[in-house]
Amino acid sequence: MRRHLIASIVLLAGLTVLLGFGYPLLVTGLSYLLFRHQAEGSLIYRHGKLVGSALLGQSFTDSKGNPLPQYFQPRPSAAGSGYDGKSSGASNLGPDNPLLIGFVAGVNTVGLTGAPSARNPFATRADPACVPVTVKGTPVTTPVPGERFARQPDGSYVCDPATIPERALAYRRFNDLPANAKVPVDAVTASGSGLDPDISIANALDQAPRVARTRHLPAAVVIALVHRETQGREWGFLGEPTVNVLDLNLALGGLR
Amino acid sequence: MTASGSEQLLFIVAVTAVAAPLLGRYLAAVFGGGAAPGDRVFLPVERLTYRALRIDPDSSWTWRAYALAVLAFGLVSTLLLYVILRLQGQLPLNPTGAPDMPPLLSFNTAASFVTGTNWQAYEGETAASYLTQMAGLVVAQFTAAAVGLSVALAVVRGIAGSARTIGNFWVDVTRSLVRVFVPLSIAGALVMVGQGAVQTLRGFLTATTLAGGRQVIPGGPVASMEVIKLLGTNGGSFYGAGGAHPFENPTGFTNMFDLLLVIVLPFAIVFMFGRLIGRRWQALAIVAVMAVIFIGHTVVSMQAEVHGNPRMPASVSQLVTATSPGGNSEGKETRFGPEASALMTVGTMGTTAGATDSALDSYTPVGGAGAFVAILLGEIGPGGDGGGLYSILVLALLSVFVAGLMVGRTPEFLGKKIRGPQMKLVVAYVLTIPIVVLVLGSTSLVLPAGTSSILNPGFHGLSEVTYAYASAANNNGSAFAGLSADTTWYNTTLGLAMLIGRFVPIVLALAISGSLAGARVHARTRATLGTAGPTFAVFLFGVIVIVGGLIYFPMLILGPIGERFAG
Repeated sequence: MRRHLIASIVLLAGLTVLLGFGYPLLVTGLSYLLFRHQAEGSLIYRHGKLVGSALLGQSFTDSKGNPLPQYFQPRPSAAGSGYDGKSSGASNLGPDNPLLIGFVAGVNTVGLTGAPSARNPFATRADPACVPVTVKGTPVTTPVPGERFARQPDGSYVCDPATIPERALAYRRFNDLPANAKVPVDAVTASGSGLDPDISIANALDQAPRVARTRHLPAAVVIALVHRETQGREWGFLGEPTVNVLDLNLALGGLR
Repeated sequence: MTASGSEQLLFIVAVTAVAAPLLGRYLAAVFGGGAAPGDRVFLPVERLTYRALRIDPDSSWTWRAYALAVLAFGLVSTLLLYVILRLQGQLPLNPTGAPDMPPLLSFNTAASFVTGTNWQAYEGETAASYLTQMAGLVVAQFTAAAVGLSVALAVVRGIAGSARTIGNFWVDVTRSLVRVFVPLSIAGALVMVGQGAVQTLRGFLTATTLAGGRQVIPGGPVASMEVIKLLGTNGGSFYGAGGAHPFENPTGFTNMFDLLLVIVLPFAIVFMFGRLIGRRWQALAIVAVMAVIFIGHTVVSMQAEVHGNPRMPASVSQLVTATSPGGNSEGKETRFGPEASALMTVGTMGTTAGATDSALDSYTPVGGAGAFVAILLGEIGPGGDGGGLYSILVLALLSVFVAGLMVGRTPEFLGKKIRGPQMKLVVAYVLTIPIVVLVLGSTSLVLPAGTSSILNPGFHGLSEVTYAYASAANNNGSAFAGLSADTTWYNTTLGLAMLIGRFVPIVLALAISGSLAGARVHARTRATLGTAGPTFAVFLFGVIVIVGGLIYFPMLILGPIGERFAG
């Protein structure tokens, strides 16, 4: 056993030097030689200042967190408070979780007493799947008797804005879509990394008229730009076609 | 499935079908004892290593000596990694200012990477220094893979060879690293960087976004870790989001390249086995079983995910169209879409990599069950580097024994008689991991320390817990990541599950190999049950499904099956 232990120590010491430092440094050196732009993170500079990475999504919101209508909006993000490069990650909400799909009758509905119920007692006219929030804005999925919920001026419940039904309502409102318009699923779901740089073509096309209106541009010009910025599948069949939101918004600046 | 989904699956199958036999031929040359390609470059490096280790490369050991060396190496590796994690805040190469890792989390992480599990209860961006990632985790990823391949070689020598000894651990590890893992990793890393993966030593950059906000752009030696994470069937990522992170897995191409890095080598190792024992049909029968398992669970998940979340409100379109990837897109990246995400994530579940490009916790019940089943069948579709081969060989021994009982003949595998001593070890091997999973999993479900970490309600939350133990004990390392695993209870028990799930089966497999080493090889007669044809392949598949299925069926009922049919 002692012989094995000594050999283990010697081997690990050698491997730590060769594989722990030699290997990554060799790869770093070769990468800088061959693919410097990619190795550094596909950084995008404008007027000499760093505006982001072509590979990382970013928020297009004002200082209060409201989406800015003159920009195409990325997908919802679960990375920190949204597109936080220091804490990538997904929502991890299960497919039945009310925080994701709202209170759906017969699936996960909970009554005012906390027991499962056949209908959603918190339903509002706009959102039958409404999940109520406390006066502080925290969503409540397991109500206890006597709990106090936030209310609208008309007495109906205030709903958790992060559920998919609420996001779909907000998306329609923001983009002036008709009440029966179907919302592309990527527009109301968070990505795996929370840093997804892309949206689907359908999502970009739904947003194009609103962006055009805000920027006083003809809708056709912005729609044409979306098609120009669309990335096809690699090799024609790997992955999905996408529109990179940062590239698209940067290209908007060049339109007249 | 859609056209693009089937095309990507076909692409994976076709590339593997071409590359795995070729790589297997190379491996057989490397480990067959004769001259091998590249001797001129690699031999001097190996000789230098043997001299530094003061070992005689021509000596061959008994299984006990081999097992002791594996355990000694595992112990020293774990201790070294533990020390690095505990001290990382005070060591150099820490541009992101990661603090020292707390003791229990360090234990969990050290056990996780040394066993090749790569369960990650820490956040990569902020909780691990660059020194930790490079000199700690990456080294463990290399050695875990090399140890797995070495043990497989030793098991093959004992089961099929005529010598009473089963090889030299230091030689096997050295040759695996020098001739397989290091050269392939350097080449693979450059492909990844070319596609956009990050490889830099800079720390965080702060960008002023287009809308005037601030965003942190992380960096790090990512590609060099990403490639051995996959090639070594490890699964541990540089960043918290893993293979979903655009800096690790930037394009639709890298997504499939990642999957190929994971699955080609385990299949190649089986082809190597066929050449080493001079029975290529035997290898083909095993490859067929592995391929059926791989394709089976992957297709089921792809289908479920592209179909979408059945609870989605009517206001949202999950339809696949020319302008929208559709499907269950919560936790999935737009550039991969639901099918390629399921193909990559669930595809790697058949190996011990458990590398993900999407959030398993948000998969549909059926999609998530694909991943669950792949793990519970014991990681043989096609399994980890080396681990897949020795696991399925043990199951093959079980199969010939059962078949022998059914027809009333003395069971034989590769000409060697399988008797009581071997069968006791085989049964112990088959039961070790289920005992760990079921005991620790059910204990966690009755203790507040276990249940308080659950994120999602109902059946799904139960799956978060049982999946964690299945993943840890099988050294997979993927997670239903809603579970808050950085607690005293989970760090301790999952750490133990990983160590037991790695080293007990290794010792048992080596013991089986040792007990067959030097046994008389009987000539094949008309009475011998063939183990290379389709009959045996189907029988082996049946044994795998019955063993895995019966042991875990109650757990699946309370998890994904219950979730699917609830409400």
